[in-house]
Amino acid sequence: MARKIDLVIEICGSAGEGTISAGEILSRFMSSQGFEIMSFDTYPSEIRGFGKCVAHSRISNQKIFSPGKNADVLVALNDVHSISQLPFLKETGILIFDNKPLRYHEEDKSIAGWVEPGIISYGIPLHELAQRAAGSSRGRNMVALGAIASLFGINAKAFEESIIKRYSKKSRIVIDSNVNSFIEGYKWAKENITKINGISFESPGIKPSRKKREIINGNEAVARAAIDSGIHLFAGYPITPATKIMEILSKELPGRGGVVIQTEDEISAIGNVIGAGFAGKRAMTATSGPGFSLMTELGNLAIMAEVPAVIVNSQRGGPSTGLPTKTEQSDLNIAVKGGSGDSYRIVLAPTTVEECYECTCLALYLAEKYQTLVVLLLDFFLSNSIRNIDSPKKPAIKLLDANKAPGNRDLKSYKRYKITGTGISPRAIPGTPGGMFVSTGLEHSEEGLPRYDSETHEKMTEKRYMKIQKALKEIPKPKRSGCKKNIKVGVLAWGSTAGSAREAVAEAEKCGIRAAFMSPLSLSPLPVDEITEFANECEILLVPELNSSGQFADLIAPYVYKKIEKLNMVTGLPMPSEDILSKIKEIAE
Amino acid sequence: MPKKDHYVIIGNGPAGNKAADVLRENDRNARITILSDEHFSFYYRHKLCDFMSGVIDEDTLKVKFYKEYKEKNIRLRLGQRVEKIDPDSKTLFLKHMEKLRYTKLILAVGSAPRVLPSLLRYKDYFTFMSNYNDAANVKSMLENIKNPIVIGGDLIGINFIKMLSRLKKKATFFMYYKSFWPFDLDIKKADAIRLSLEKNNIKTISGDPVKTISRRDADYIIETESGREIEGDALFSFMGRIPNIQFIKGSGIDTERGILVNEYLQANYKDIYACGDCAQIYNLELKDYWISIGWENSILQGEVAAYNLLGEHRIIKPMSKKIFNVEGIKVKTSWWNQLKT
Repeated sequence: MARKIDLVIEICGSAGEGTISAGEILSRFMSSQGFEIMSFDTYPSEIRGFGKCVAHSRISNQKIFSPGKNADVLVALNDVHSISQLPFLKETGILIFDNKPLRYHEEDKSIAGWVEPGIISYGIPLHELAQRAAGSSRGRNMVALGAIASLFGINAKAFEESIIKRYSKKSRIVIDSNVNSFIEGYKWAKENITKINGISFESPGIKPSRKKREIINGNEAVARAAIDSGIHLFAGYPITPATKIMEILSKELPGRGGVVIQTEDEISAIGNVIGAGFAGKRAMTATSGPGFSLMTELGNLAIMAEVPAVIVNSQRGGPSTGLPTKTEQSDLNIAVKGGSGDSYRIVLAPTTVEECYECTCLALYLAEKYQTLVVLLLDFFLSNSIRNIDSPKKPAIKLLDANKAPGNRDLKSYKRYKITGTGISPRAIPGTPGGMFVSTGLEHSEEGLPRYDSETHEKMTEKRYMKIQKALKEIPKPKRSGCKKNIKVGVLAWGSTAGSAREAVAEAEKCGIRAAFMSPLSLSPLPVDEITEFANECEILLVPELNSSGQFADLIAPYVYKKIEKLNMVTGLPMPSEDILSKIKEIAE
Repeated sequence: MPKKDHYVIIGNGPAGNKAADVLRENDRNARITILSDEHFSFYYRHKLCDFMSGVIDEDTLKVKFYKEYKEKNIRLRLGQRVEKIDPDSKTLFLKHMEKLRYTKLILAVGSAPRVLPSLLRYKDYFTFMSNYNDAANVKSMLENIKNPIVIGGDLIGINFIKMLSRLKKKATFFMYYKSFWPFDLDIKKADAIRLSLEKNNIKTISGDPVKTISRRDADYIIETESGREIEGDALFSFMGRIPNIQFIKGSGIDTERGILVNEYLQANYKDIYACGDCAQIYNLELKDYWISIGWENSILQGEVAAYNLLGEHRIIKPMSKKIFNVEGIKVKTSWWNQLKT
């Protein structure tokens, strides 16, 4: 059996130093070598400036579900920023730093001055080597990657090829500069560093996958799924961390007969989506907290007028513009309940990149079939996290055309909002002969005519509620793992926190704690039966989530009949499985 | 609000640590920093042989643990080498390119292995056992060593060769009794030591010094002045120690063999003091400079340097003579009166 390789490498630098690029290159390359990857980046909100950037990659030859809390290796491209990252390096970690910067650091501004015993530090003249390789110190990130390859037994030739591939669309000079810097770092480390650590990526014992694998992040998965699901229109206003979805679609969609519109604001974006949905075309938008707030009212129109619309909300720290480049799960309340009146909608929260793809396909299908608003709740971490996954399976034909069109009999006396047993009414696409109707945000009769009487409002409210409940049957049931009975601690998690929770439960079991994990994909409608059953099986129920108040815990509280232990964090970082494990241990005592 | 003093001590041995403790006891507010180019916390150098042979573990080797420095609010910077001192601007320049400013400085940089001038050209062949890293390195080598050669000597060298013998290594000891450290041996005492070592099955060559050293594959070949040829698979040198002051030269701080300090352990700059193995101390009675050796001397000097730095005027006095027992031979020494190169 191959030895376990499970390492976290962090590259820390200043904006503009190629920190995030280096992390992405490392993650994608290690992924291509068959390793499991879980990565995320943190960077400043400002477009220009010198803020702190961290590229975090967990690399393993085993299945992993969380990004890992502390780093085994910290590469400091910028000393001042990296000093504040040093507490996240393991006590026996490895530090790679520039030991020949352009000038002396003032007191306490050098990371080497803060290294504590136990940490192995390798000083590498990053500036000098980059200068030598490319005549500029900009290639320090590549020098660092070369040193990493040398120190940790990574196939340098293959790595070099991946760098060439990464910059293949750039000029020869750019390609050569990067490659030469990489080689310089590799050679220098090989010749000058006597390795005294046991870290190595050699002989990982990874069996080649029979399935085609892909290196992809959450945003890429959403964009790909949207294309594969046949969207005709994407309208959006750029906002971190969702912008990448629009970027990808703006390149891909026009060539496939679709349209991408960059609108003047988010209200206009959702307006475009509703317009396309009304016209019978699949459409979606992608935004984040502040943009999602703006979309709330028109989202309600989609619900009331029963028009398909999909909003991808990649959550970041809030409220308001908040923390644009940090992750959080604090838009749950507005996603599930935001808006006036009883505005029932579907809210899906993928937990992995694979599910980002699957849920996007499902969202477009459900929006069309149930003629309503579907919100897909991602977050900064899931949007940007690179994973190595099996190539997603394209959506089944059934998912590609879900509109319940009116039959001839319906069209004889067409009622767009006809009360049916399922709550779904036959939907005529404008232009359908005999299918004319009035569509409005006002409460309306089955024909669509404004009505304000209590009987109509009750009937229609019930109709809109019922169809959402019916949709639950089409959404995969909550996933479970861990103990099946005599559960001491049950962990109920959603969205990107689910991976960490699942890993924490597995570790808790190894420690002899009877723990179990459950994660629902659908947050609205809630899979109440499964949640109640799970809660009943657990002596203690723990809900970890990245918000301050415990929004999910409060959402499920009416159905669990017991006190819920909350674990809330608003650090702007993904929730570490280690912290969930600590909490499990604490409450299990 | 006045700025706090920043007392910097270079060296994490007995002198540096004693000085830091005294400074902290008497000045609760000052910043105190100890700089050491070693990565390992304060340890008993004389126990390195026991550590190498596995008699004691790493923790037992330590005099003080890292957390103890934190508790005393003393910042210990390990693995950080000072490359240059600028006494005028009171700035230290560290190898990793950081400037560190002090208000007062204590140099307790200790000593480095001495190599006899006649053997200097073979310096790269020698494995030294000067610090923890060396010991850890030798420890990892020991299993594969069969017939080591040890050139000595000094007291640690004798302990080392005996340790090798206990580990059933076929060791050869070249005893340089005329250059013994820290005291001279006459031929009579040298012979007595040789006989004692040979009783322990240690082949000891005395009075026939090394002429040349060459390599044959992985082995070392020593040819002696008398034409004898000795082959070994490892080569160690234990020729005593010399003050470790190379980086201080050219800084303006007066040095000779060591750092020249007055009877108050003060260098030619008023805010700089030196103590321990690196200090060459003016003795009022002898009207000459002396270098001391030994753990106790270092502690005493560290204490005196710290008090004087704080404003007192304590005069350093030599410890009373110490009797060393070398293989049953009693040798008296305290102050080293002959500065050997």
